[in-house]
Amino acid sequence: MHTSELLNSYTVDPGTWDEMYSDLAVRGQYKGVVDFMQQMSIEELNKKEELAKRLFMSQGITFTVYSSGEGIEKIFPFDIIPRIITAAEWKYIEEGIRQRLKALNLFLKDVYTNQFILKDGIVPVEMVYSCPHYLREMHGFHVPHDLYVHIAGIDLIRDHDGTFYILEDNLRTPSGVSYMLENREITKRLFPDLLPGNNVRSVTEYPNILHRNLVSLSPRQTAHPTVVVLTPGIYNSAYFEHTTLARLMGVELVEGRDLVIDNHRVYMKTTAGLQQVDVIYRRVDDEFLDPLVFNPDSMLGVAGIMSAYRKGNVAIVNAVGNGVADDKAIYTYVPAMIRYYLNEEPILKNVPTYQLGHADEREHVFASMQKMVIKKTNESGGYGMLMGHTASDEEISRYKMEILKDPRQYIAQPIINLSSAPCYMNGKLKPRRIDLRPYALCGPDGIQIVPGGLTRVALREGSLVVNSSQGGGSKDTWVLAG
Amino acid sequence: MLSRVADSLYWMSRYMERTDGILRMLRINYASSQDDIQEFSWKPVLRIFSYVDEEGATKMAHNTRAVLQYMVTDRENSNSVLNIITRARENARSVQDHITKELWQCLNDFYHTIRDEKLNHDLQREDPISILDILIKQGLLYFGTLDVTMARGEGYAFINIGKYLERGVQSADILDVKFSDMNYDFTKTDTTYWKYLLLSISGYELYLKTYRSGFDAKNVVEQTVLNEDFPRSILYSAGQLHRYFERLKGERNQEAFRHIDFMIGKIKSKVRYSTVESIMAQGLHTYLNGIKDDLYQVGIALNQHYFAYT
Repeated sequence: MHTSELLNSYTVDPGTWDEMYSDLAVRGQYKGVVDFMQQMSIEELNKKEELAKRLFMSQGITFTVYSSGEGIEKIFPFDIIPRIITAAEWKYIEEGIRQRLKALNLFLKDVYTNQFILKDGIVPVEMVYSCPHYLREMHGFHVPHDLYVHIAGIDLIRDHDGTFYILEDNLRTPSGVSYMLENREITKRLFPDLLPGNNVRSVTEYPNILHRNLVSLSPRQTAHPTVVVLTPGIYNSAYFEHTTLARLMGVELVEGRDLVIDNHRVYMKTTAGLQQVDVIYRRVDDEFLDPLVFNPDSMLGVAGIMSAYRKGNVAIVNAVGNGVADDKAIYTYVPAMIRYYLNEEPILKNVPTYQLGHADEREHVFASMQKMVIKKTNESGGYGMLMGHTASDEEISRYKMEILKDPRQYIAQPIINLSSAPCYMNGKLKPRRIDLRPYALCGPDGIQIVPGGLTRVALREGSLVVNSSQGGGSKDTWVLAG
Repeated sequence: MLSRVADSLYWMSRYMERTDGILRMLRINYASSQDDIQEFSWKPVLRIFSYVDEEGATKMAHNTRAVLQYMVTDRENSNSVLNIITRARENARSVQDHITKELWQCLNDFYHTIRDEKLNHDLQREDPISILDILIKQGLLYFGTLDVTMARGEGYAFINIGKYLERGVQSADILDVKFSDMNYDFTKTDTTYWKYLLLSISGYELYLKTYRSGFDAKNVVEQTVLNEDFPRSILYSAGQLHRYFERLKGERNQEAFRHIDFMIGKIKSKVRYSTVESIMAQGLHTYLNGIKDDLYQVGIALNQHYFAYT
């Protein structure tokens, strides 16, 4: 069988935006890739898929699943067909994200200092104080350059008419950027010459920009500040990412046990004694960062690090307490924040969101559960989520009971159809639903967004859930230059 | 360099050196088990490289396939090559930003190779030499990649310290067990016995070139302990250990450096100024045990002064 037939078998789901096809004609941005694929046989494509798997395995781009006391290495599923974003689409996304992050950063500064937005009644006080990620420990403390969000991974989806929506703002420790980088490396190996031929923008600057930003945050005036990446350790599922970032930036990868606090300063234990640490890009959640302040059972953090932070002797990235801004209930107010702080209309839209803490909105949601997705406000990774259209009546009524116990902890959104993109599956092209997570880096000199990102794909037919913990995979994400 | 990182590099290296030692030993002993020599037994190999008890060793002593399986792919045996490679890889995994990407991939591939079910199956059915050769080559790839790609910094020093400390202990162990197996009888002249011992530590050819008058137990001891040109000798290992340790000399941590430098220097001198006669005078077993102890003490001191982080 030849691949032209493989393309003929592709049928777009009705009422869905497809990234490759519009009215059964291939969109301009996909032409190069489609032509390329048509020159290949199924055997060749299968070989490419094999090669991709082997490369991921051999490089250890894996996560470990523990069963019966033994670790089994798994790779995060990768689809060989890239997802392509046009220059115009990217420009729009980039502006939208920049605007949003500017507002979110101002919100964090405000909510931890003067609280103008609460006093003016734009965001209800109880929304903030009931959020478990609002940390009193951060109140009244000025972070360097007033920057709270240094690294953001904002999730975008597209509805049936192609409109982009913001699904989530990840402002704490967004992961996946190593897949943006590695997926590109794999594409280079799989399809020689395809990238330069299609005018694809490079993503390799990411670690350099990040490193530059981290260095600029050093509280100590020194030519070579010590920057470290703090990881929970090798058993963390994102460990590969932590080690990749440390390697690409040329900085130390440390664990909590490598650090010690003395006189409100952070030191790492080296073979030549203690060495002061200036900037910490931490991949440990707030809750585990300092057993003296937060979870006292945490083995992952460093006792006393919060006091060093508050004294201004160390910079922590992202800032502690950012969770209050990417809370799923606070999310509803982001468009209002943009208007309040920037006096601008939001460029990127929010998905309509119902607060189940509000009785009238809750009733509306309960009446049309089949059309809704319900999420817990403080969970991520697709956990604790209910998709109304696939859940049984019994599941729905059980979930309703759960909601009523603490309605503030839940939000509902109408199910957005998610756009589809072609995936190579068993010798055929099939449409599968996708989202997009670009990575934005905010430094003292402004916000930079590397042209690319992580496209997550729901590999199960008909599924709208792209999270890796729920059977999702990923694609290389191309942003075309003009 | 982080203490934890130094610790991991050191152990990664010790495990890789151990793997190489085990695989070579197995390969030659397998060949020897197929040869027409009297009373071949796997017992010494099991004694050197595993914690199996006397009863277990006796049971396996003449069951070649069982020993190979136990020593290479057994998941229960904590000193099987599979488990040692797993530990080496875990150590490497936690210091990926301190070893080159090539070195990490090489170790990672080794790990996937040894865990392959097919390899285990082939080890039981096919020619074991071919299987062991695949593994030995994967190890050589590690040593080569290390040499070609790694920066000559502190990390490289710790890697080599681990390597030569392990090698010194291993050579002392092999010699001691092989001699104890024949009750330290230096008059034994069974040519094949010495030949296979030397082959297993890649010292046969050098022996032939050095001693042209046939096999003599004393000469075997001399080469394995005192020959400066023999890369598996204790003298060579101690020399290299010292050479790489000296690279850690720096402004800070001077006291710890001096302390360990003294310990290693003492081992080196002790070996350098021994002769076969002096060794035999105090007893080979006592002598080798003393060296092993001294090397272990260096390991403990390194742990205390350079690796302590918890």
